[in-house]
Amino acid sequence: MNKIRKQYLPFARAGIQTLIAYRMNFLGFVIGGLIYCFVMYYLWKAVFLSSGGSTFMGFSMTDMVLYLFLSNMTSQLTFSSVSTDIGEEIRDGSIVMRMIKPVNTDMSYLFTELGGAFMKLIVFGLPVILGLETYRFAVSGTVMFDPLNFLLYFVSASLAYLISFRVNLCFGFVAFYVKNLWGIGILKNSIIGFLSGTLIPLAFMPDILRIILEYMPFASMSYTPVMLYMGKYEPTEILLRISLQLVWAVLIYGLSKLIWAGAVKRLSVQGG
Amino acid sequence: MIYAEHLRKEFKKIVKEPGLKGSFKALFRPQKEIIAAADDISFHVPKGEILGFIGPNGAGKSTVIKMLTGILTPTSGECRINGKVPQDDRKNYVKEIGVVFGQRTQLWWDLPLTETYSVLKEIYEVSDEDFKTRMAFLNEVLELESFIRSPVRTLSLGQRMRADIAASMLHRPKVLFLDEPTIGLDVVVKDNIRQAIMKINKEEQTTVILTTHDISDIELLCDRIVMIDKGRNVYDGSLRELKAKYGQTREMHFEADPNAGLTPEKLLKGLGASDEHITVECDRNLFKVRFNSAEIPVAKMLNHTLSVTAVRDISVKDADIEEIIRCLYKEGADGDE
Amino acid sequence: MRRFFRIYRILAAQNLKRVMEYKADFLTGAVSFLIDQAVGIAFIFIIFSQIPQLSGFTFEQIVFIYGFSQIPKGLDHLLADNLWCVGYFIVRKGDFDKYLTRPINPLFHVIAETFQVDAIGELVVGISLMIYVSGSVNLYITPLSVILFLIAIPFAALIYTAIKIATAALAFWIKSSGFVIQMVYGMNEFAKYPTTIYSLPVRLLVTYIIPFAFAGYYPALYILTGNDPLFNIGGTVLISLIFMAIATFIWHKGLSAYESAGS
Repeated sequence: MNKIRKQYLPFARAGIQTLIAYRMNFLGFVIGGLIYCFVMYYLWKAVFLSSGGSTFMGFSMTDMVLYLFLSNMTSQLTFSSVSTDIGEEIRDGSIVMRMIKPVNTDMSYLFTELGGAFMKLIVFGLPVILGLETYRFAVSGTVMFDPLNFLLYFVSASLAYLISFRVNLCFGFVAFYVKNLWGIGILKNSIIGFLSGTLIPLAFMPDILRIILEYMPFASMSYTPVMLYMGKYEPTEILLRISLQLVWAVLIYGLSKLIWAGAVKRLSVQGG
Repeated sequence: MIYAEHLRKEFKKIVKEPGLKGSFKALFRPQKEIIAAADDISFHVPKGEILGFIGPNGAGKSTVIKMLTGILTPTSGECRINGKVPQDDRKNYVKEIGVVFGQRTQLWWDLPLTETYSVLKEIYEVSDEDFKTRMAFLNEVLELESFIRSPVRTLSLGQRMRADIAASMLHRPKVLFLDEPTIGLDVVVKDNIRQAIMKINKEEQTTVILTTHDISDIELLCDRIVMIDKGRNVYDGSLRELKAKYGQTREMHFEADPNAGLTPEKLLKGLGASDEHITVECDRNLFKVRFNSAEIPVAKMLNHTLSVTAVRDISVKDADIEEIIRCLYKEGADGDE
Repeated sequence: MRRFFRIYRILAAQNLKRVMEYKADFLTGAVSFLIDQAVGIAFIFIIFSQIPQLSGFTFEQIVFIYGFSQIPKGLDHLLADNLWCVGYFIVRKGDFDKYLTRPINPLFHVIAETFQVDAIGELVVGISLMIYVSGSVNLYITPLSVILFLIAIPFAALIYTAIKIATAALAFWIKSSGFVIQMVYGMNEFAKYPTTIYSLPVRLLVTYIIPFAFAGYYPALYILTGNDPLFNIGGTVLISLIFMAIATFIWHKGLSAYESAGS
């Protein structure tokens, strides 16, 4: 344990420093995400007005606001740039430099990212949660914050983070075959955005699609933690959802390891 | 032809302390500092000359070149090339110059070389006829034929450099700026490039300004050198003058008899020379003595050495240009402190 | 002007040759943007599965506006994509030097250099959507309205380009302005839907300050209703010219502040 701390903490620190150095880029993404949330907010407001009811498929407007901002924030927090990072490193060959260091390669990526995620949580996640709770308080007149749900959210979001990291790692290896990393990024984001429910709550989708998507790993990446925070699940379902996340975390871990092993072979065949 | 008068260029730099703490500090209160990358640089270059523009890393060579080529706007001072101020009418000005940055390429990375040339032909408005004769000339000088149809990414560094020089010469520029044209190349290729530069200079009377770290480039190509350090002129003149001025340094190599037990201290003792005129390095019995022959005549040095030790082998030679330049850099740095 | 077209044609041809070298990349790019669009449309479908109309617009009208908004976006994406690179790294890495040593306008040069075929995804989706719903929406079609509508398209695309030029040019001062482009460009989301759904401050913002509403909703509204051509079409032309003027002004200021990179 001590060894891990000593060996990998520098990577986490580097992650924090990178985020600070590129703070403006980070800010750009955050503000871009918030703008998107606001567009969606107005759109949903219009939808609620047009539907005439106070709830829409089981969601009140307050629920909707909570869902929009929370899922955007969660996907930002669990967002991993490892796919583009690793893609770039594969393309320019600098991945070799990572592999000659006496540390576990994907662990070094993970810790670099964790450093950044920690910063994001503090400067972005907490303010958003504070803002949302203030909003809920203003609308309902009572404190709606539920520490248990928050705890569940935190546990589930951490699992979501690990899954997202591994999924992105797998996407990164596509760089061995395709040069257009920008296109891959757009593709990845829109697929994950749709399948994970960030764009439209999975609850709104036709039943068959919803059930399939709920069991896919993408739902574990943002939908599950958000629904937990909102207290939308019964106790038995909470258990089911979190175990499902655990199962996916393990499966995807295995998959990324397999691909990684294949990639290393490929690297040595190419001669770096 | 080229007049640079008191050129100065300032940059703002954000100073960051090292470590995590420094990053946080820079986040909230960035410390800015103004540095002059070039300061009071003046020189003239007549038509047809090859000027070597030299200095240590970070001396400001590229900054000056970038001002002369119109990429950077000087903070103060002025440059005129062919009577034109680069920044005033950039578009017309750049038609008269060619620029090669050794570390960058202006070639289309994924396409055959010929494609780059046909695009440049349009950009520089070269007529079909001119283009033909020009390509023939460049082909002959730079030997492009063997790789002109290959994608640029498959070229070797030397081929790429030749291709880049050809690209910058397509429109018959009157002035050619070459920033590190031989960087990273092996000796044979370097020689190739030098031959080509000489040929272009001779046949077309092209004025060439060349920055380099390679002393042989200067010895073989340059009529004159301008040396800058820390953004300031430290030398302007011909190579021969430089050698005459600083060339009194001699190097003596010898192997002392191991039984004599010679040390640098013993060698210096009784010579009566001050430290600034002589340095001694030794590796077991092999000695290397660098001394100023104006202060310590060669004969005196030899006699003295032979009087303190028996030697197996001894030789005295002129210091090479590299040595002189190292001295000059050192002088510049000392003068600054 | 003729010279510009000639150079553009030649540069675009080079780009196409490059695309042919990397067919897999082209396919990835086009498919990516296609799927990105499909997801956006799925969203509209799901909403309208529950409500008959949105702020007085039918499903088909919303799809028409959405589809139209992708055309100026796609055109700008096709023709002026390299501005992203200016903001993200061309200036920071000092690669802008090259454009300054060439005897043509650097802005034109940098834009002409990339011909981004990925944009086919947006254009195909936009046009298909408009055709798909054209039977079921009442379009206001007269010879004049069609001409006005077509005129608006390039100007609408110019709004995108102007906003990208202005934000990319900030890189000349701050080295990397990718995040600003990202932030401001992201507001094009607002152009996809009727501005009537927004609150007044947001509506003013997307109409006059970051005028993406003129690059989507307003021209589409004109061909849907025939209302107020002076504002819906004239506004598009005027706003795009004003923003282009501001953008080129910022760009030229930026050029003299350019600091290159390295030693």
